[in-house]
Amino acid sequence: MSGSWLATQGRLPLAFMGLALAWLAVATLLLAFSPGLLALPHVHPRVVALTHAWVLGFFVSVACGAVYQLAPVALGTTLASERHGWWHFGLHAAGVPGMVFSFWFWDLKLLGHFGTAVALGILLFSVNVWRTVRQSGRTGVVAASLVLSAGWILLTVVIGLLLAANRFWGFIPLDPAALLRAHAHLGLVGFLLTLLQGVSFQLVPMFTLGEVRDWRLAKLGQWLVQGGLLVLAPALAWHLSWIALIGAGAIASGVLCSAIGLGLAMASRKKRQIDIGLRVFLFGGIALCAAAIAGVILVAPGSPWGSAPGGFGAMVYAVLALGMGLLPCIAGMLCKIVPFLTWMRAYGPHVGRGRTPSAGALTSPRLERAAFTLQGAALIPLLAGTWLLNIVLLRAGAWLLVAGVAFFLADMLGVMRHLWRPELQPAPTSKST
Amino acid sequence: MNDSMLQPAEVWEALAAIPDPEFGINIVDLGLIYSVTCNEGDVTVIMTLTTPSCPSGGWIHEGVRAALRALPGVKNSRVELVFEPPWNTGMLSAEARRALGWKEEP
Repeated sequence: MSGSWLATQGRLPLAFMGLALAWLAVATLLLAFSPGLLALPHVHPRVVALTHAWVLGFFVSVACGAVYQLAPVALGTTLASERHGWWHFGLHAAGVPGMVFSFWFWDLKLLGHFGTAVALGILLFSVNVWRTVRQSGRTGVVAASLVLSAGWILLTVVIGLLLAANRFWGFIPLDPAALLRAHAHLGLVGFLLTLLQGVSFQLVPMFTLGEVRDWRLAKLGQWLVQGGLLVLAPALAWHLSWIALIGAGAIASGVLCSAIGLGLAMASRKKRQIDIGLRVFLFGGIALCAAAIAGVILVAPGSPWGSAPGGFGAMVYAVLALGMGLLPCIAGMLCKIVPFLTWMRAYGPHVGRGRTPSAGALTSPRLERAAFTLQGAALIPLLAGTWLLNIVLLRAGAWLLVAGVAFFLADMLGVMRHLWRPELQPAPTSKST
Repeated sequence: MNDSMLQPAEVWEALAAIPDPEFGINIVDLGLIYSVTCNEGDVTVIMTLTTPSCPSGGWIHEGVRAALRALPGVKNSRVELVFEPPWNTGMLSAEARRALGWKEEP
C-alpha cells in the first residue's frame, strides 16, 4: 500500500459524517420546535419533510459515508471512483436541504429539481459501489449486502421522484398514501436494513475479536429480507393485506435470523468488555427486531392498529423503527466510525514516528453515556406521545432528545477537533539512541 | 557481532511502541509480529494483521517501516505482510489478554 494512497484515505467518508452530524442537529431541532408533527398522519407534507431530514439527511449520509470507507476495506480493493464520490457528496449536500424545504412548504416543482439532484448523486453512489464490488471479485454476505442495498436505494429515489411527479400530474392510479408506505419500506428495509445486516457481520466480529463460524444464518437472514421486501412493497402499494403479511413476516424472520447469527458471533468474542457505542448499536438491533414484529402486526388484515384509518399506527411504528432502532444503531456505529476516521487522518501518518493514541481514546465516555441515556429516555415519551397523541409527552420527549443529541454532537466534535489539533507526543527514546 | 550492532531485542522494543488504533494494545502484544531478523544492519520483519480487511492495516504496515527506518544502525529494512498462518487469539500475550478483559486460566 503506497503512502500517497493512504494519505487520501478517509476524507470522503469524513465529509459525509460531518454532513450527517449537521443533519442530526437540524432534524432534532425541527422535531423540538414542531413536536406536534408526530401526532399528524404520516402523509402530511411536514411529516414527510421531517422524515426526509432524519432519513436522507442523517441516516443515509452516515450510511453512504460508511460504505465509501467500508466497501474498499472489506473487499480488499480501492473505491472505483473517488471523484464520483465527491460529486455524490456535492449533490447530496445541495439536494437534501432543498428537498426538506420543498416538502415543508409543499413546492412540488422545487421538489422535482432538488429530488433530481439527490437521485443523480445516488446514481453515482450505486454505480460506484457496484464497480467497486465487481473489481474486487468478492462474493458473500458483505459483498451481496453492498450490491443489493445500492440497488434498493436507487430504486427508492427513482420511485420517490415518480411519486412527486404523480402528485403534480396524477398519472399513477393508486392510493398516494399506500405508494408512500411502499417507498418508505424500499428505503428503510432495502437500503438501511440490508446494509446493516451485511456490514454487521463484518464490523462486529472485527471490533470484538469474534468470528462468524457459520454464515448460513447471515445468508438466510439476508435472503428472507430480500424476498420479503419484493413481496411487501407491491403488496403495500396495491393494498394486498394477506400478501403484505407474508412479506412482512419474511422480513421479520430475516431480521431475527441475522440477530441470532450476530448473537453467536458476539458469544465467540475475545474482547470481553464491549464499549458503549457497540452496546447502543446492539440495543438498536434488538429494537429493529421489535419494529419488524410491530410491522407484521400493523399489516395483518383487520388489525385494530392498522395504518389505513388515520395513519397513527404507522407513526408509532415509524418512531419505533427510526427512533428506537435506526437512531441507536447509526449513532452507536458513529461512535466507532468517526473516531477511527479521525484517527486515520490525524494520527495514521505518525504511526511508528511518534506516540499515537488509540481511536477509542479520542472519545469522551462520559459524554457518550450522557448522550445515550438522554436519547434512550427521550424515546419513551416520544413513543407514548405518538401513541396517545399527547403534545405534552411529545414536547418533553423532543427536548430530552435535543439534550441527548447535544451531548452526542459535543462528543463527536471533540473527536473531530483532533483533525485540526492532533495531540502528538514524541516517540519513546530507544535505549540504543 | 559486536555491541554496536543492532540486536533483534531493540527492534522488538521499537515495534512495541506502536499501538493498534482499535484495541489500544501494542502490535507486539497483539501478536502481529511473527519474526524479526537482524543481519549486520539489514532488518527483516514478518508481520500480519488481525484480519486481511483490517481498516488500519495500511497505517500499521507503514508505521512498522517508519519505525525501522528511524532505528539507529539500520542500513536496509524489509517488512513482509503475510496472512499465513492467519492471526488468531492464541497469539495474544498475557498482557493483551488482560487488557481485553480475559480471565486468566488458573
